[in-house]
Amino acid sequence: MTARRRGTWLLGVVALAAGISMMVAAYGVAATRSQAAPQNAQKSVGTLKAVLDTIDFLDPQQAYTGQSWWAMWNVYETLLTYKHVDGPAGYQLVPGLAQSLPKISSNGRVYKFTLRPGLKYSNGKKVLASDFKWAIKRGFLATGQGVGFYTDIAGAKAYAAHPTKGGNISGIITNNKTRSITVKLSTPRGDFLTILALIFAAPVPANTSTAILNGTIPATGPYRITGYDPNRGFTMVRNKYFKATKYIPRGNPDKIEVALIGDANTATQRVISGQADYSNGAIPPDRIANAKSKGNLVLRQTANTYYFWMNIREAPFNKLKVRQAVNYALNRATMQKIVWGGLGQATQNVLPPTYPSYKKLTTYSYNIAKAKSLITSAGAKGAKVTVWTRDVSDARDAAQYYTAQLNTIGLDASLNILPRATYYSTVGNVATHAQTGWARWLEDYPHPLDWFDVLLNGNRITNTDNNNYAWYTNKKTNSEIEGLKKSQVLTPAVNARWAKVEKEIMAQAPWAPWSNRVFPEFFSKKMGCIHVQRLYGIDLARLCRK
Amino acid sequence: MLSFVIRRLIGMVAVLFAVSILVFIIFILIPGGDPAERMAGKNPTPENIQNIREKWGFDKPFYVQYVRMMQKAGTGLLPGTHGEYDILRSFDTRQDVVAEIKKGIPATFSLCIGAGIIWLVFGILVGVISAVKAGRWSDRAITILALIGISMPVFWLGIVLRYFFAETRTWFPDGGYVPLSEDPAQWMYHLILPWFCLAVLFIGFYGRVLRSNMLDTMNEDYVRTARAKGLPPGRVLGRHVLRNSLIPIVSLFGLDFAAVLGGGAILTETVFDLKGVGWYAAQSVGGLDLPPIMGVTLYGAFFIVVFSAAVDFAYAYLDPRIRPT
Amino acid sequence: MAEPATELTLDSASLLAAEEHEIAIVGRSPWYLAWRRLRRNWVALFALLVFVLIVLACALAPVYAKHVAHTGPNEVHAGEKVIVSGKPKEVVGGGSFYDPKTNDFVVKPPEYLGPTWWHADGRFVLGTDNLGRDVAVRLLYGGRNSLMIGIGSALICTFVAVFLALLAGYNRGWTDWVVTRFFDLIWAFPVLLLAIALSSALAVNGFHHFGISIEPGSLWIPTLVISYVLIPYIGRPLRGQILSLREKEFVESAIGAGAGPLRVMFSDLLPNIASTVLVFFTLIIAANILTEAGLSFLGAGVRLPDPSWGNLIASGEDQIQTAPWLSLVPGIAIVLTVLSLNIFGDGLRDALDPRAKVRIEH
Repeated sequence: MTARRRGTWLLGVVALAAGISMMVAAYGVAATRSQAAPQNAQKSVGTLKAVLDTIDFLDPQQAYTGQSWWAMWNVYETLLTYKHVDGPAGYQLVPGLAQSLPKISSNGRVYKFTLRPGLKYSNGKKVLASDFKWAIKRGFLATGQGVGFYTDIAGAKAYAAHPTKGGNISGIITNNKTRSITVKLSTPRGDFLTILALIFAAPVPANTSTAILNGTIPATGPYRITGYDPNRGFTMVRNKYFKATKYIPRGNPDKIEVALIGDANTATQRVISGQADYSNGAIPPDRIANAKSKGNLVLRQTANTYYFWMNIREAPFNKLKVRQAVNYALNRATMQKIVWGGLGQATQNVLPPTYPSYKKLTTYSYNIAKAKSLITSAGAKGAKVTVWTRDVSDARDAAQYYTAQLNTIGLDASLNILPRATYYSTVGNVATHAQTGWARWLEDYPHPLDWFDVLLNGNRITNTDNNNYAWYTNKKTNSEIEGLKKSQVLTPAVNARWAKVEKEIMAQAPWAPWSNRVFPEFFSKKMGCIHVQRLYGIDLARLCRK
Repeated sequence: MLSFVIRRLIGMVAVLFAVSILVFIIFILIPGGDPAERMAGKNPTPENIQNIREKWGFDKPFYVQYVRMMQKAGTGLLPGTHGEYDILRSFDTRQDVVAEIKKGIPATFSLCIGAGIIWLVFGILVGVISAVKAGRWSDRAITILALIGISMPVFWLGIVLRYFFAETRTWFPDGGYVPLSEDPAQWMYHLILPWFCLAVLFIGFYGRVLRSNMLDTMNEDYVRTARAKGLPPGRVLGRHVLRNSLIPIVSLFGLDFAAVLGGGAILTETVFDLKGVGWYAAQSVGGLDLPPIMGVTLYGAFFIVVFSAAVDFAYAYLDPRIRPT
Repeated sequence: MAEPATELTLDSASLLAAEEHEIAIVGRSPWYLAWRRLRRNWVALFALLVFVLIVLACALAPVYAKHVAHTGPNEVHAGEKVIVSGKPKEVVGGGSFYDPKTNDFVVKPPEYLGPTWWHADGRFVLGTDNLGRDVAVRLLYGGRNSLMIGIGSALICTFVAVFLALLAGYNRGWTDWVVTRFFDLIWAFPVLLLAIALSSALAVNGFHHFGISIEPGSLWIPTLVISYVLIPYIGRPLRGQILSLREKEFVESAIGAGAGPLRVMFSDLLPNIASTVLVFFTLIIAANILTEAGLSFLGAGVRLPDPSWGNLIASGEDQIQTAPWLSLVPGIAIVLTVLSLNIFGDGLRDALDPRAKVRIEH
């Protein structure tokens, strides 16, 4: 070859060698990096196409559905948050925006936090300690759905009566220079830390408008929301100002496109056909086996109880025998099959089995003859009963079964189906005089107080928007619940006391609980590394593609 | 003519006004749950509820509320962003009702215009064929088919079509709407089953009305005269018979088209998951959500009133014998 | 312009003839002539028979339930077993279940008992629905409800429409203007929205004012709501017909002779629109059955757990893959009923219209 050609040839060889060595080096680095952080899997998810059945709001001080929280857990961080692990360990509270768990005074009334340094919102602005106070105030100003949780903060009740932008809640003291937040309670509460971890308490920039802002409030989590289209969907993209910590990891997907599809069949089809990667909606029982073969079905056990309440103020349910008869009249095993196609577990407890205080109750076996005789001896034969339920297919089916059984044991029952949006406020209104009906409770936070205090404490009964649909009150159990409020930690002794309260309440049978439901989470076959966080659902931080 | 037009216009406005009042009365006076309680959510304090009541004006007397609601409806039509309490907002989701209706318009218009063209064309075809072949087997067969078409509940037909063609065999997509601007081919592909479903009902009906009109016209003296004059039968059909028989079809089409455009295709939109105005209406009515109901009702009534007046004008123009009232 | 179907009967002439020549010329009224024509139209008669049979079957629903199926329409048999051809089968079998060994659920679809035809002693002839209820019993009771609402609302609609048309056509002027605007108002008002709204609004307490008491689940709500929908549909053409009749000499002369409005309406106007009304009536029943099905499908008609053909279709939609008959059978029932009414109505119209092209001479 000529000299020139040889030069070119040499250049080529050198370039090739350099290229190969660079690639080897890069691979080596990548390999070590992936070994160091195994939770960020090899294949990136890219854009996750998700389908949710419905959300209510994307405003932290307003949202109150599990679906909205699934999305917003990754967008709006709170002072304390939950561990990104599976199983019951996921109930453990860890620092979120706070530097560490708070210092709690000996009387259980004062909580001291320090905010982490250098925190920024997704618009680049600093996160200030006073933003936490603004978030709580905003909840009251915007008449958010969760304000009832925070009324035990000193000064909150007075503020709630006449909330103003400039007004003050004396129980929250913040210092932006030292980044300290001090919260004083008017009465100690054992569940206050979990209440602080609710998304209602997520800090938002000062003076954020009190109108409902769906997705436009700057984010503090790994993602921020863009492009919210009501009834149709929204998108989540990475928050570039987010810094991962030990407890809050970066998410795996670069982008999450959520479509809102209410029709269960359409949503399931989307995943089967590959147009979507994930659907959280209910799958009709007769399609579920088909779906499992065509996709990746994960069954999520969450803390929930489905039950029928019986209003102890209204005849015939003011008689204990009648309430017991109803409990004997339900074939709980059959109900799992006809309502969820078998994806549920029969229960007679108030609390679901996820609680350490859970002790399984088996008082009521399925016995129609016994139920009939109880009704007759109580003199309630032929009593007119209206059963209430809401217009969702599983609630309709369960209530139709319930109504049929009430008729079988000798009552004269008819069914009243109300629209989804007005159901709870109608049966929670004392003027309706609702006798019995369908209800369910999904835990807001993992503490028995979220169940007994809200649903079965006679002291918390209100005339409107009441959550204690049985209007159940009992001096003994009321005072036991109030006493247990003060216990900070769920020790075995405390749990034993909770179990005792539950047994006493169910002996009075204000409810006929029947199921702990198992929720299907449906993924396409291409998705893997599916982990379920007990409280918030599918963990985006660990999702991957196969 | 001018006085007729003016009287008709006044009548239109009067009807719209009456419709809005009727809707309002039904919802305010019949008990359906306190909206303030609904909006307050799961854990409210009594102060919360009172707050909501004041901000949204639920504590004012009903005629004041009505005027405010009409004001809000009007403001919603104006361009630009609006304040929280200036426009019609849903009680349940606090979303802008007018904006939501606008979002549903592409799907509803796509469904109705497409189905409308199909049913008009095929309805006329069916009517002409069965009139020309009257009494023969082809007429009988077409009549039976048409009658079956108008005897089927439209939502049942939709379910059956979906089951056989979109679920057990995936020849067609299983519901959903793809905007025309996004992908014209998919837009049409997703609409084929819904178009067919909605059109079948009307094809049968229009075919039979046209057939009966044509048979009546063919018995008229002037048609006999035309034939006696020696005009070719095609010309008789086209120029004399068809033109006169089509007039009632035009008026029927005007009203039916207005009805489906105004949200009357609720059932088809629900079954095929097309998020149009009808679908939006079904969502909000079940929830007794007054602002969307008012918005959708006025929207629908507007179309019907406009089209019915247009049809009357057309009639009066085409046939001077018809005395307008 | 369509002329009303009035033929001079030959009665007076025949009397004269009989007197003069003692030969009886038998005159025939238009109704008799129509009946003769209808009798020859075997398709229409067959359709009428089908409709009557359906009505009869649905009216006998309680008898079927008690003596053949041994169950009510709302009774749940989900946990039970039924003997089919000698072998016990679960009414609702299959389904997912929890396996404690793997601490997970085994996912299986539920198995609903299909139509047993007569192999189970008359029980579950058409199978079961997802709650273990007998489909055949629900189908018959559902038909009862749908037909009651359909026919009841058609009656009310026809009465009101005829009344308003007579009022407008006879009085003309301002009354006519008001009635026409009233028709416009009804036409512009969306019926589905109103039905759903009223149904939901009355769901809580029912309606107890002005001496009328309507319970939340009553069938009166859908009946009344559906009846108003098609009032303008038949009111307008009837009004047109009456307006043109009004100009005729025999009416003018009746008024001139001093006949009061009621007399004119009942003796002169009404008989001449009777055939139109009759045809409309059959078609309105058909249309109202379809409307009721649509309302019940959306949850605003007959309320669960009471069956209606429309809400049976809606309830069956979720099971369409494993038990397609749940949605298909009620739909077929609706199609048969409405089709037979439409065919009969068609035949009736042909028979009553003396100028029909295809005439049956006698």
